[in-house]
Amino acid sequence: MTGQVDSIPISNDYPEEESPWKLVFRRFRKHKLAMISLGIMVLLFLITLFARQIAPFEVDEITVGNYFLKPGSVQETTGRVHFLGTDNLGRDLFSRLIYAGRISLTVALLSVLISNIIGVTIGAISGYYGGWVDNLLMRIVEFFLTIPSLPILLIISAMLLKNQDAIPIPKFFLEFAGKLMLLEVREARQAVLITLVLAGLGWLTSAQLMRGMVLSLRNQTFVEAARAMGGSGAWIIFRHMIPNAMAPIIVDASLNMANYVVAEAALSFLGFGIQEPIPTWGNMLSATQAYMLDMPWLPLIPGLPIFLCSLAFNYIGDGLRDALDPRLKL
Amino acid sequence: MLGYIARRLVQMVGVVLISAVATYALLNLAPGGPMTGLRQQQQGRNRITAADIARIRAYYELDLYLPIRFSRWLIGHPRGSIEFGGYEWFANTPVGCRQPVEKNIRNEQGKIETKVVGCNEYVFLRDLEGRKVSRGILLGDFGSSWKLLRDRPVSDLIISRLPKTIELIGLSTLLSLFLGIPLGIYSAVKQYSRFDYIFTSLAFLGSAMPTFFFGILMILVFSILPKSAGLPYLPPGSASAVREYAVPLLGTIQPDTLADRLMHLVLPVITLTIVSVASWSRFIRASMLEVLRQDYVRTARAKGLKEKMVILKHALRNALIPFVTIVVFSIPSLFGGAIITETIFSWPGMGRLYFLALGDSDFPVAMAILFITAVLTVIATLIRDLVYTVIDPRIRYS
Repeated sequence: MTGQVDSIPISNDYPEEESPWKLVFRRFRKHKLAMISLGIMVLLFLITLFARQIAPFEVDEITVGNYFLKPGSVQETTGRVHFLGTDNLGRDLFSRLIYAGRISLTVALLSVLISNIIGVTIGAISGYYGGWVDNLLMRIVEFFLTIPSLPILLIISAMLLKNQDAIPIPKFFLEFAGKLMLLEVREARQAVLITLVLAGLGWLTSAQLMRGMVLSLRNQTFVEAARAMGGSGAWIIFRHMIPNAMAPIIVDASLNMANYVVAEAALSFLGFGIQEPIPTWGNMLSATQAYMLDMPWLPLIPGLPIFLCSLAFNYIGDGLRDALDPRLKL
Repeated sequence: MLGYIARRLVQMVGVVLISAVATYALLNLAPGGPMTGLRQQQQGRNRITAADIARIRAYYELDLYLPIRFSRWLIGHPRGSIEFGGYEWFANTPVGCRQPVEKNIRNEQGKIETKVVGCNEYVFLRDLEGRKVSRGILLGDFGSSWKLLRDRPVSDLIISRLPKTIELIGLSTLLSLFLGIPLGIYSAVKQYSRFDYIFTSLAFLGSAMPTFFFGILMILVFSILPKSAGLPYLPPGSASAVREYAVPLLGTIQPDTLADRLMHLVLPVITLTIVSVASWSRFIRASMLEVLRQDYVRTARAKGLKEKMVILKHALRNALIPFVTIVVFSIPSLFGGAIITETIFSWPGMGRLYFLALGDSDFPVAMAILFITAVLTVIATLIRDLVYTVIDPRIRYS
């Protein structure tokens, strides 16, 4: 009987082992809408990345007299086309939209990065060490999650915009953010402040998520082994736990991207975010409100990109969730 | 259980106090404040004298030290020297500074900053006698408004706005419940059907749709476009008309009649309802699907119970448990209103009031709304936890 086991032929033609990321991408591709969304977002990022090359006009280039030109009008002197027409000051809407996209997307991206780093760190510390640290941190997180976030967001950004120097921001970061958003350092401060406000209130859910993951990972054998080998807390958290908790964090980040694009637009729309003349989709939308009686298509121009981004990042998050872990529910 | 409630109540008082401090600190620690604009006017023709500045500072209580100001805001004290045993105590304790000495100092970056370096004239505790003061927010007195309704009590503003918000949020919450719950259940029961497919796609779109863009689209589609096409239209904003207006097919509508108010209510209510139906029904669907997989549902079916019975009696009850949180937390929003929707439709409710108060730096109004919202949220949390023990006997607090 034992001979039978030995006689099982060991074949050499196993399919080549797939790397985990290849596997994820193969599963992700099955989600049609997520793939389309990914395509749209890549396109949007490319357009905004080459904003200077693509936009036919400068951000605040004003053509006197050319107010509210129809989409497709041609500027007579230079022959450049106003693809989406001009606004109330004669600024080219298409160019502004591209520059605005660059700012809106950068703010969202930076917010996701910062808030996820804060959230993951705090969640991991809270979950790994437990005890009173965990208790205190989680009570704070829960309290902030229960109070309505928009009033808090509004009040903090209103106060910060009035005293823009209240928070010291390192100059290199301002310059870096300014380069990313094609803004001068002085203007970049506003955008960075909004980024910090969004991230400052946004890390709560990632912290809760990470804490849950760490709690479930803490009792797994590989963590026990790492601890038995004498690994320190920080080593175990950063080397073993965070890589293993990556899947839900990536999904959370892509859904957060959607939230931040909408939140930044909402703040700017209400007038407590990034202010004119710096273009963002939100303040462009709010500016069109006054003229929508006569030009009903005007709000669609900045409104559709916001909706598109929100939808696309939601679909991408959905697709990633299916691809990374079918059992995962967020 | 009683012990648990008592402990929670004590905790609640702590949280309320902390949120009061946080609210106050947020608005008052920041430099600048209500004086910023005035200082810039000093160069113009309408020059403001030092006496004017002292008077305005006293009006905003900026001449008092922060802890004193905070204590007056919170509990309405101190109001003057303390009389005890026939003597006045602490009458000469300085509690603020009427005329601070300011000096322009060059800081490290080479910019000129104005810094307070001393005090010419102090405010003493006895000077506080006769000054206008509220009874303190802990006793429900929120002081007077600074800008929106100058010198009128904040509570007047809130009372005039609150019914409108309750009308709007209450109606849309009820509608969302009546639409969202059945839709979510049906979609879960008929999982993978055509209805489920269409419904989940729509709900996905709805929950990804930003409210402010959706509101503008609603105004475009139901107000501006039909009006210019000569079709019946809905008014785009505010809660009632000022003058009579004619709508095709519906005739002339008199201002402030029931018909007029209903017409104004439709768009904001629909906007809010669709957005919350989209997210609530997805929530119900997910929690229903979870429950339908459970063993006891299979047991109920195996017993031969009718499908309707299984779904409504066995599954739904358990699927609704997590939904309690959402319903309970609509209490604070019933007070706080919907900032974005109310702003787009110029609805004269609490959300818009908060928005206006922030824009005008009317801090007492903003602080009052924020504080009440925080208190209601804390109460809602307690209600949620208590309701959980009633509807889910597995949850026990000791």
